[in-house]
Amino acid sequence: MFRNNYDNDSVTFSPQGRIFQVEYAAEAVKQGSVVVGIASKTHVVLVAIKRNAEELSSYQKKLFPIDEHVGIAIAGLTSDARVLSNFMKQQCLGHRLTYGRNMPVRTLVDMIGSKAQINTQHYGKRPYGVGLLVAGVDSAGPHLFEFQPSGMTEEMIAFAIGARSQMARTYLERNIDKFADCDREGLIRHGLRALKESLVQDRELTVDNTSVGVTGIVKAEDGSFKVEPFQVYDQQDVMAWIESVGDDKEGGAGDAGEGEGEGEGEDMEVDS
Amino acid sequence: MTSIGTGYDLANSIFSPDGRNFQVEYAVKAVENGGTSIGIRCKDGVVLAVEKLVTSKLLKPHANKRIATVDRHLGVVYSGMIPDGRHFVERARDEARAWRDTFKTPISTADLASRMGGYMQAYTLYQSVRPFGITAIVGGFDSTRELPVDGEVGSGPACGAGGKVPGKSHGGPALYMIEPSGLYWGYYGAATGKGRQAAKAELEKLDLGGPGGPALSLEEAVKEAARIIYVAHDDDKEFELEMTWISDVDGPTKGLHQEVPKALREEAKRLAKKAQEEKMEE
Repeated sequence: MFRNNYDNDSVTFSPQGRIFQVEYAAEAVKQGSVVVGIASKTHVVLVAIKRNAEELSSYQKKLFPIDEHVGIAIAGLTSDARVLSNFMKQQCLGHRLTYGRNMPVRTLVDMIGSKAQINTQHYGKRPYGVGLLVAGVDSAGPHLFEFQPSGMTEEMIAFAIGARSQMARTYLERNIDKFADCDREGLIRHGLRALKESLVQDRELTVDNTSVGVTGIVKAEDGSFKVEPFQVYDQQDVMAWIESVGDDKEGGAGDAGEGEGEGEGEDMEVDS
Repeated sequence: MTSIGTGYDLANSIFSPDGRNFQVEYAVKAVENGGTSIGIRCKDGVVLAVEKLVTSKLLKPHANKRIATVDRHLGVVYSGMIPDGRHFVERARDEARAWRDTFKTPISTADLASRMGGYMQAYTLYQSVRPFGITAIVGGFDSTRELPVDGEVGSGPACGAGGKVPGKSHGGPALYMIEPSGLYWGYYGAATGKGRQAAKAELEKLDLGGPGGPALSLEEAVKEAARIIYVAHDDDKEFELEMTWISDVDGPTKGLHQEVPKALREEAKRLAKKAQEEKMEE
């Protein structure tokens, strides 16, 4: 790997006006396993591939609930994500205490954006080595945000970050017009299909390595709208979803021709 | 470049033998890569506009705003490193609020520019920080009326320190641009970012700085702003146009910094595209 004089800290601009330390931190995000998020008019889902360090170890968690109405998916340094996650939990709790209601998602995301920006401007600090997808609902409906180590935060319709996430993003771009009117289950299936695009050869979605998180707004019996609290589904709870996209009937994927090769569709097996 | 390899460009706040601070110059480079921002000061207000480059199809359209409101009557737009811009805006909001707390009156655009210029400059002084990778354009409308002071008791001094000189006009539209060095000037029309050269050339053609003050009306300025962003834009890339405006209390925004209404924005875009096509045919 080439070296240069301008990449030792986050307070040095290169002659082109770049800050290499921040760009390197963005590389750390690409080392993490892939996570996908999609928002519709009523729901927002996060789906993730979990990795285990070795055969007998447990799988590293990828989805974290923040508050009743917000959850995050992480790619990169898990310990950095924990710092951000704790911060977000505290802010949400503080907001609830002060105002007696849910924190607006954008407000929350802006807070971690500002926090991360400071790490890119002061000597002795380093940028966070983690990228997040933040899913949440507020009075304006469901939202999905991407957070980068630079402090950049943007609202997305759908997005994927982590290793080989470009493949998942390509899937999402192809199907972007379908998401808005998707129901909860359809959205999850789209998420899993996007996830499958990013899998390395001969790996499969299994109940052990797949996590699904959902939040949204649902119509209650009395006609009012209620928040479906953010919940993470693992293990047996994701089995039916995995099976529904397993023998990919090319359901919502629509775009024929592109889909071949992903329909392996054999039995579920434990991740190796 | 002469700066590279000398060692004088490796840390902030270091002077080279010929008196330059290279890290600040490099910060300017970060600005020059960002989407174009412009501001126009016209007869009855200020217009801010920005070219938002669409980096991904997956971005939610019109959801990611780039022009921020700092106080009721103040807007800020910036080019360069967006997280730095957001930090700048937060600081500007703090300044505006602190001013209100202290003086019980809204901060003037000039005073905000001064405070923020000082803030940016401080980030060129120490090796422990880096300069801001943004150039910010601050637009505001300082009320021409006697404002009821926040939480006032009485109306304040009629003359002298803190008072207004009778018979003199006060307030009006104001526009400032602050660079990474902390340098700031007041402008009739300001442009920064990737397309600043083309935008400046267009701004100079407008009647903004005549002796009788700018001739351009607010609505005309909105249309010009849209056109200039289109002119400055590099054709093949997709972008979104975001515009805000500020008028006096009897104008369309009632003294507030607001997004330009959709109908007017779309009309301005239509005219901008038409002007582009006509230019192409020539």
